[in-house]
Amino acid sequence: MRNYGMKRALAGAAIAALAMNASAAHAASATGTATAKILRQITLTKTSDLQYATIISGATASTVAVSTAGAATCGAGLTCTGTTTAGSYNVQGTNGAVVLVGGDSSVTLNGSLGGTMSSTLTYSSPNITLGTTGGSFQVGGTLSVGANQASGDYSGTFNVTANYQ
Amino acid sequence: MLRFLKALGLFTAAALGAAASPALAAGDLLVAPTRVILDGSRGTEVVLNNIGTEPATYRISLEIKRMTAEGGLDEIAEENVTAAERTALDMIAFSPRRVTLPPNQPQVVRVGVRLPEGTPPGEYRAHMLFRAVPDAAPASGEPKPASEGVSIALTPIYGITIPVIVRVGDLGAEAAIGAAWVSETQDGPAFNFDLTRTGNRSVYGDIEVTRPGVAEPLLVARGIAVYPEVGARKVSLRVPGELAAKLKGPVHIRYSEDREIGGGTIDEAERVVK
Repeated sequence: MRNYGMKRALAGAAIAALAMNASAAHAASATGTATAKILRQITLTKTSDLQYATIISGATASTVAVSTAGAATCGAGLTCTGTTTAGSYNVQGTNGAVVLVGGDSSVTLNGSLGGTMSSTLTYSSPNITLGTTGGSFQVGGTLSVGANQASGDYSGTFNVTANYQ
Repeated sequence: MLRFLKALGLFTAAALGAAASPALAAGDLLVAPTRVILDGSRGTEVVLNNIGTEPATYRISLEIKRMTAEGGLDEIAEENVTAAERTALDMIAFSPRRVTLPPNQPQVVRVGVRLPEGTPPGEYRAHMLFRAVPDAAPASGEPKPASEGVSIALTPIYGITIPVIVRVGDLGAEAAIGAAWVSETQDGPAFNFDLTRTGNRSVYGDIEVTRPGVAEPLLVARGIAVYPEVGARKVSLRVPGELAAKLKGPVHIRYSEDREIGGGTIDEAERVVK
């Protein structure tokens, strides 16, 4: 079954490749000259996630902060375990290009067993100037943990964008 | 056609398969070109490529962003857009709006303009956003017993925006370089200068900072725009401490048009950076 699916997938890829060749050939014959235009590009890749790891809540409300450098500050009354990391993104494009970076300033997390938490988000810089090897920016945040916060897996999504002017 | 649909079905199946296993940065992307200018008569193409290692579904949309005096771009919710911004959103047509791509598979997005009769002259702009749709709710595994505390999973939805600019009528603009200074920000030292704009369209170009008598530029920053909604903006570029120290003193700042359209000087000025 797996092999069969694989074959079909290959066939699908081949069809796509043929279709692309056909249109390329058509374009060349229409103009009679071969031209290639190199477009300026931008790429955005995620290199690490913003991670607060595991937190055991205390009797009073407190916060856990992860700096854009990835350093964690575990608030009074909380126990934090595991490795924290800042979110990190790599941008590549034209050497010297200025790219505006940023995203949501806060995110709400919903618990698998009920309950919510919120986190503020901070970005390492409002813009980056790309070097020959591109550039990167980081996302840190401060998570507000309630008194005796309900246990569970909390999840949430937030937006991050790299913007060309 | 049937074959094509089959292939499409397979890609979707592959995407679903990937969602079940832990994805390695699914959603990484490439977009080219990085800026689109249309005059209303011809359309263009933008290429989106999945440069991640897993299949991913991307959504393509238009949004309105306004430049701030600080040089940032504020996202404006659709219900708060002005009539001119609404016109921009309505006149720019593009397809497709959603696509699932296997790794290293490029997709052409066609962009066109439908100019309603009697559109007033001006520059109309929207920002095209390309971003990966996150996998359906991550498998949460076994619920944690009460003693194990809380674990956090934050999923970023990350993407790229490029401006799509439509120019209607004969438009012109000029820009002037203002004061320049070095400052200390919370993110480290920065080189700053003011840029003012007059006219009825945006200005866009590259900045080169040189020391008189030295050929090698101290600083090059490409792709700096001043959009029509602001008459002036600050340009603040984070620089290494060593460069910040070098930038102080007499410098020549040149703002030139994009190299692709000749690189002519928009404005240049001698400044003493403090």
